Amino acid sequence: MASAIAGAPPVNSFSESHARGRRLVDSIATVMLWAAAISVIGMLILFVVYLFVQGASAISWHFLVGYPSAADAGGGVGPEIFNSFYVLILTLIFTVPISVLAGVYLQEYAGPGRFRELVQFSAESLATVPSIVMGLFGLIVFVSLFHWHFTALGGALTLTLLNLPTMMRVTQEALSGVPATYREASMALGATKWQTVLRAILPSAIGPLTTGVVLVSGRIFGETAALIFTAGASVSYGASAYDFNPFHTAETLAVHLYSTQREALVPDAAQIANGSALVLLVMVLIFNVTARLVGRQLTLRFTGKAP
Amino acid sequence: MVAVRANKAHREERIALGFLMTSSAIFVLAIALIIGFLAYNGTLLFWHDHVSLPAFLFGTDWDGFGGKFGAAPFIAGSLLATGFAILIGGPLGVAIGLFFSELAPERVAATFKPAIEVLVGIPSIVYGWIGLTLLVPFIAKVFHAEGDGLLAAGIVLSIMILPTVISLSEDALRVVPNSLREGSAALGATRWETMSRVLIPAASSGLAVAVILGIARAIGETLAVQLVLGNAAVMPSSLLLAASALTSEIVMDMGDAPEGSAFRHALFSMALLLLLIAMGLILLIRFALRKRT
Repeated sequence: MASAIAGAPPVNSFSESHARGRRLVDSIATVMLWAAAISVIGMLILFVVYLFVQGASAISWHFLVGYPSAADAGGGVGPEIFNSFYVLILTLIFTVPISVLAGVYLQEYAGPGRFRELVQFSAESLATVPSIVMGLFGLIVFVSLFHWHFTALGGALTLTLLNLPTMMRVTQEALSGVPATYREASMALGATKWQTVLRAILPSAIGPLTTGVVLVSGRIFGETAALIFTAGASVSYGASAYDFNPFHTAETLAVHLYSTQREALVPDAAQIANGSALVLLVMVLIFNVTARLVGRQLTLRFTGKAP
Repeated sequence: MVAVRANKAHREERIALGFLMTSSAIFVLAIALIIGFLAYNGTLLFWHDHVSLPAFLFGTDWDGFGGKFGAAPFIAGSLLATGFAILIGGPLGVAIGLFFSELAPERVAATFKPAIEVLVGIPSIVYGWIGLTLLVPFIAKVFHAEGDGLLAAGIVLSIMILPTVISLSEDALRVVPNSLREGSAALGATRWETMSRVLIPAASSGLAVAVILGIARAIGETLAVQLVLGNAAVMPSSLLLAASALTSEIVMDMGDAPEGSAFRHALFSMALLLLLIAMGLILLIRFALRKRT
C-alpha cells in the first residue's frame, strides 16, 4: 500500500526498522522491569545483612534475658521481650474471636443490606486509621478517661482496634476458599447453619486462618507508634522482669528501640538499638516462616490435601 | 428426643447469631468512637483555647509552651515527604506489579513473593533505624549535608509503601481478562506495548487504588519518619534540611504536653487532621472503584 505513494521509502526497509525499534523498546522495558524487581530483592538482602552485621555483636544471653540499665553499659532487654509477647497474646485474645466472628457473619450469614455495608465500610475506615492516631485514641480513652495510666491492657486494646480489620479480611478470604459443596453436604445432613460453620467450614479453613493469625502477630510484635502513649515507654520494676499484671506499664521491644535512641543515658545506646533491631528482624522472619509451615500442616491435617 | 435436640440446635443458632452480630457491631462502634473522641479532643484547641483555624492550618510558628500553634510546617512536611515517596514508590511499585503479573516465570515469582512479604513485616521502627544509621550518613556524604531531612524521609517512605503498591497493582493487573492480552498480541503489539497501552489503561482504577493506599500508608507513617526527618519545626525549604511532619511531631511532643493544656489539644488537632486525610482517601478509593462498575 505504502509503496504506491510516490517518493515514500520502500515499505520493507521502513517497517523493518520500525519493527526493530519497537522490539528494542520492548527489550529495554523487559530489562527495566526485571531490574526493578531484582533491586527490591537486593535491597531486602542488604537490610538483612546490615542488621545482622550491626547487631550480632550485641546479642548475648545476658542481653536477651537481662534487665535494662539506667546509666551503665551492658543493659539487657529481657523485660521488653517478655512484654512484647505478653502484649501480643493479650491483643490476640481480643482480636481473634471478634474478627473471626465478624468475618463469619459477613461471609456466611449477612445478605446484602445496610448493616453489612456499614460493617464493611467501618472495617475499611478502621484499616486506614494511622497507628499514631490510634495511639492517641488509646491515650484519651484508656490512659486519661479510665485513669489506667500506661498499661499492657490499654496497649493491647489499642492494638486490637488496629488489627481487627486485617484479621477480619483474612477470615473472609479463608472462608471464601471453602468449597460450597462442604456447606451443602453439611446442611443436607440436617446440620444447622451454626453447626455447619463450627464443624465443616471453620475446620477446613483452619490453615489460612492460622497463617493469618501468625502474620498479624508479626505486625503486632513490631508495632510502636500505637504503644508509646498507651503501654508506655518504660518497664515496670515489679517483683520480677516478668510482670503479668495487665495494669502495669509494659514497654515492648519495638518501643524500647525508639526510647533508647531518643532518650537513653547509657553509653552503649546504639549497641542496644542495633541488638533490638536484629531481634525484631529475626522475630519477623520466624513469624513469616512459621505462618507458612503451620498453615500448610493444618490444611493437610484437616482437609487431607496439600494446599 | 428428636424434638428436644432440634430445639437445642435452634437455641444455639440464635445465640450464635447474637455473637456474630455483636462482633460485627464492634467494628461500627469502634470507628464511631474513634471519630467521636478525636473530633471532640481535636477541636478543643479552637473552641476551648480560642486559637483560630486559619492560625492553626497556615501559621508557621510552633512553640507548644509559648502558645504558638502554627502547624503549617508539619502539614507541609507530611505532604512533601508523602509526595516524594509516591513519586518514587508509585511507578516502581506498579512496575514490579507488572513484572509479577506479566513477566515473572512461576519459579521466580515463588522466590520473590516471600521476600516482599518479609519487607511488609519489618517493623517501621526498624526501617527508621536502618534509615538513621545507613541512609542518613550516606546522604550526608554524597550531598555534604546533615543527612536527615525530607530526602531521607521520602526515600524511606517510598521503600515502605512498595509492598502495598506492588501487591495491589499486581491484583489489579491480574483481573484484566486474557482476551485483551491475546487481542493486543494478535494485532502485532509487543509485550511492552500491550502492557503500556492495553493493560495499564484497563487496570487504571485498580492501580489508582494501589497508589492511594500507598499514600495513606505514607502519610500516617510515624517512627520511620521521626528517626530520619531531623525534627525541626520550620517550613521546609530544601530536601536536604531537617524538617518535621504531623506524625513525627505528635510523637516528639506528646510526652511533654501536660494534660488539659492547649499544647496537648493542638497535638490532638493534628491527629484529627491525619484522621480526616485518611477518611478522605477512603472515600476517594470508593469513588475510584465505583467508576469502574
